[in-house]
Amino acid sequence: MFYRLTGVYQTDYAKDRALWPIPTDRWIALLLLAIAIAAPFIFQVHYVANYMLPWLIWSSAALALTLLMGVAGQLHFGFAAVMAIGAYSSIHLARFGVPFELALLGAGLISAVIGSIFGAAALRVKGLYLVMATLAMQYLVDWVIVNVPAISGGAQATLRTPDVSFLFIPLESVWLYYMALLWTVVVTLFVLNIKRSSYGRALVAVRDKDYAASIIGVSPFRYKLSAFFTSSFIGGISGAILAFCYYQAVTPEQFGFHVSIQLVAMVLVGGLGSVVGAYLGAGFVLLLPMILTNFVAGLGAMGILNVSASLLAHIPLMAYGALIIVFLLAEPLGLAKIYDNTRKYFLVWPFRHGQS
Amino acid sequence: MNHLLRKTLLGSAATITLAAGTSAQADDTITFGLLQDFTAVYTFVTDEYHQGQQDYLELINQRGGIEGKTFDTFVRDTGNEPDRGIEAYSRARGEGAVLVDFLSTPVSRAIVDRALDDETVMITPLHGRGDASHGETFPYVFPMMATYWAQATALIDYIDEHRGGLEGKTIAHVYIDTPFGREPIPVLEELAEREGFQLETFAYPTPGTEQSATWSNVRRARPDHVLIWGAGGGQPVSVREAIRNGIAPEDILSVVWLAETDANTVGRDRFEGVRRFEAVAAGTDYPIIEAIQEEVIEPGHGSGSEENVGTSYYNIGVATMAVAVEAARNAIEEHGVVTGETLRDGFYGIEDYDAEGLMPPVTFSPDDHQGGGMGRVSKWDGDSWEPLTDWFSAHEDVVWEAIERDAADFRD
Amino acid sequence: MEYFLELLINGALTGLMYSLAALGFVLIYKSSGVPNLAQGALVMLGAYLTWYFTNAWGIPIFLGIAVAVVAMFLFGMLTERFLLRKMVGQPIIMIVMLTLGLEILLRGVAPGFLGAAPKSIDVGIDLAPIIIGDIFINRGYLVGAIVALVLVAASLLFFRTRLGTKLRAVSDDHVSSWAVGISVERAIAVSWALAGASAVAAGVMWGAEQGVDHNLAALLFPAVAVVILGGLDSIYGVVVGGLIVGILGSVIPGYVDPLVGGGTRDVVVSLIILLTILFRPHGIFGREDIERV
Repeated sequence: MFYRLTGVYQTDYAKDRALWPIPTDRWIALLLLAIAIAAPFIFQVHYVANYMLPWLIWSSAALALTLLMGVAGQLHFGFAAVMAIGAYSSIHLARFGVPFELALLGAGLISAVIGSIFGAAALRVKGLYLVMATLAMQYLVDWVIVNVPAISGGAQATLRTPDVSFLFIPLESVWLYYMALLWTVVVTLFVLNIKRSSYGRALVAVRDKDYAASIIGVSPFRYKLSAFFTSSFIGGISGAILAFCYYQAVTPEQFGFHVSIQLVAMVLVGGLGSVVGAYLGAGFVLLLPMILTNFVAGLGAMGILNVSASLLAHIPLMAYGALIIVFLLAEPLGLAKIYDNTRKYFLVWPFRHGQS
Repeated sequence: MNHLLRKTLLGSAATITLAAGTSAQADDTITFGLLQDFTAVYTFVTDEYHQGQQDYLELINQRGGIEGKTFDTFVRDTGNEPDRGIEAYSRARGEGAVLVDFLSTPVSRAIVDRALDDETVMITPLHGRGDASHGETFPYVFPMMATYWAQATALIDYIDEHRGGLEGKTIAHVYIDTPFGREPIPVLEELAEREGFQLETFAYPTPGTEQSATWSNVRRARPDHVLIWGAGGGQPVSVREAIRNGIAPEDILSVVWLAETDANTVGRDRFEGVRRFEAVAAGTDYPIIEAIQEEVIEPGHGSGSEENVGTSYYNIGVATMAVAVEAARNAIEEHGVVTGETLRDGFYGIEDYDAEGLMPPVTFSPDDHQGGGMGRVSKWDGDSWEPLTDWFSAHEDVVWEAIERDAADFRD
Repeated sequence: MEYFLELLINGALTGLMYSLAALGFVLIYKSSGVPNLAQGALVMLGAYLTWYFTNAWGIPIFLGIAVAVVAMFLFGMLTERFLLRKMVGQPIIMIVMLTLGLEILLRGVAPGFLGAAPKSIDVGIDLAPIIIGDIFINRGYLVGAIVALVLVAASLLFFRTRLGTKLRAVSDDHVSSWAVGISVERAIAVSWALAGASAVAAGVMWGAEQGVDHNLAALLFPAVAVVILGGLDSIYGVVVGGLIVGILGSVIPGYVDPLVGGGTRDVVVSLIILLTILFRPHGIFGREDIERV
């Protein structure tokens, strides 16, 4: 009913392959985009600047990782290091006088090259062993950043982003938000399209069984490496955007090992390989702790939870861990699957069965 | 970010209630934002430190506040994550906080620019950027206690004055391999050249819970004294390894992060003789702590376990708030209202304030946000920390050289 | 030479201390194929419980350890029963995520209720090192290493018992185990319980060194390194992996650190592991699975 759909009536393959074959999906996507564009004017600044902005940027990073982990099936536990490379190289390039547009591109390329080198391990190992290989990348990159003051920004190990402009618009105030939005929209469209291209299908073939893929003529060597390249490219630029549009000063701790774990959590809790899932997962991992912290602190302030400051601070952590468990027990395929079930339900609402 | 957004949007929308600005507080309360890391990296200090802050503010409130105004706190856990810190900061400002304290180096580094733009006072006692002591560059950031550079020079001076001089000695700097651990090295190198001792540096990897290989190396350098520069779980391990490797406890000198909990972990009697720098006195024999005992803890208004009262980190918390309250008092006396700007001016009115002996006398000026950078050296006597020197500072020229060098870097 | 020997011996002992933390990981992986990312948090919980029972009940430390072992045994069993069992048949990576959720939950619960500031456990090991020539051997690590070897030996013996044989059958093939009447569920529950119990040993030995707080949960990472190197499902591998991680992580930084002026242990270890798995993708003692299309 809500989707105003009585069946599948595509009459040619182009329609069948459309990005959003069902008109309602397209309208929902456009509506969300419109809300995102209008957000600075309709929502409180606090929520735009501290919730929506980081959510968008982390979503683009999660999309990059879901491309690698979900679509291509290569586990990566060092993705924060990829973002760090992007953030640091973009800042150094921009400080060196390179225009911001090129600095972003350069940051993406540097991250992609370094990311692919570590990704080369994937040609040999998979699963948990690949986790170890990517962890090695995390440690190595962290170590280099901390131990080379020229990279980390001197004794205080803080590197501030210079003032830059993107396509002649100075990046400040509300444009920071639009820059992040633009990047996230580009990444979203890219990942959506990859999934329906021959390239994406080749990645899926490699994910499902790499040597089966090679039997049908899809080179696992090429596709695994290019998955690492593409994903690290996007991840690197996302790191740069995170630095320029949100943090405005980078320190090594911002891209530590725990951030890599958070990124993996975003992808998994959201639902492996799903674009919607990347958004939901990033929202869950990034925003839920903030919301829980404020909620619990609010309860404490009202005198409902009369416990020590330390316990009060740990309750959100417990709730966060418990919610991950509860959601996975309820729907082991992640938040995207919950979205998908809901959508399927409404596709045929008010009836209970039907093709979707 | 927040302020920048607001600048362009102010006229256009009637939506900006939450971030309405610094002076939106109710008239008779002054709000401090204590947005600390209760759950991730700084847990070894946060509980006691925060409890000290709360208890001191409660003491002031019990006494009727200052000039009829009472203090309120806005508390959030940031988990040491910049994203959560930025959110909590913005919310705290919405609640009218005029002062914020993150007790987390990565978070406060991410906030520095925002606090400067928003004209919100940020105190960074014993964490954050040491170069923020440079008041001209960082008008709203107050390290307010001895920076790591000042701690290093003080410890070296202690060896010079009380442990038989420096000439020809070998001093090992054993540090956690992070920017925090590296921070004092340039200052130590400078002093080594000036005072004629030999400096050897040894890094151990984070999180510092296993350091045996590093100490095998330290022992072979045959140092006369060892500086241990870490925090949290790495510190008791450093002391253990030092003692195991035959370094006498009295030759172990620590940065400020060494406390009763570490002594318990190593063993209270084995720990005897270990020296540390202290920026604030430990123990309960100080008028302010006694007053807290009497007027806050005994009537049952305390914010945590009574055992913590008087521990090193508790007293540091008390001292931070004592200075902040003093600044607020000056702000009210001079301007009648506490905003970020008047509070900053209130800090400048503080002269030789020592919280009745709890801390060294501090004096703030538009140039000096460190407040003098004094501290003292104390030793663990098996049961408590016993001061070995008076409050002092040393080689201030070297400290300020470092402050100015990094502040200049920040300005580019 | 003495320097080298000292690094070698202390490194080996440290490595065995890591094995102690890694043992539970292998037990669970071996029986159920689940990489338990909450193993570090179990170690932390074991240490916290030991501290709590010892202090709150005022009982001797060894009694406290015993009570904690029982508690963690039950905790492991309940975790399997109420969390992991419900995820059987789901993608393995989502089960990994569940254990990560458990890790976060435990890192909230233990410090939240028992206190976040570091606690101390004293098992009465003297600080003075054992000195042979100019070689100083760390007594705490020596005891930890002995405990690790005893537990590994006990695990090996256990796998020769009737229950252990069932566990091995389960680790070989779930379906065939069902077919011959072995309760796979119970076998996996037992492996979780044993992992919980062994976590207490790791928690106490490490907690006595560094103090008990949430940082103990970070032992997961060296433990995973040990396990990956040794082979995910090999008990022998735990010892060998631990020795390699410990020795290389001690000897190489011992010589390289002074040259580069930084703590290189994690980098060195992870690079060596990277190279090792490039040549032996299943670890040193891991079982090579035959994949079919």
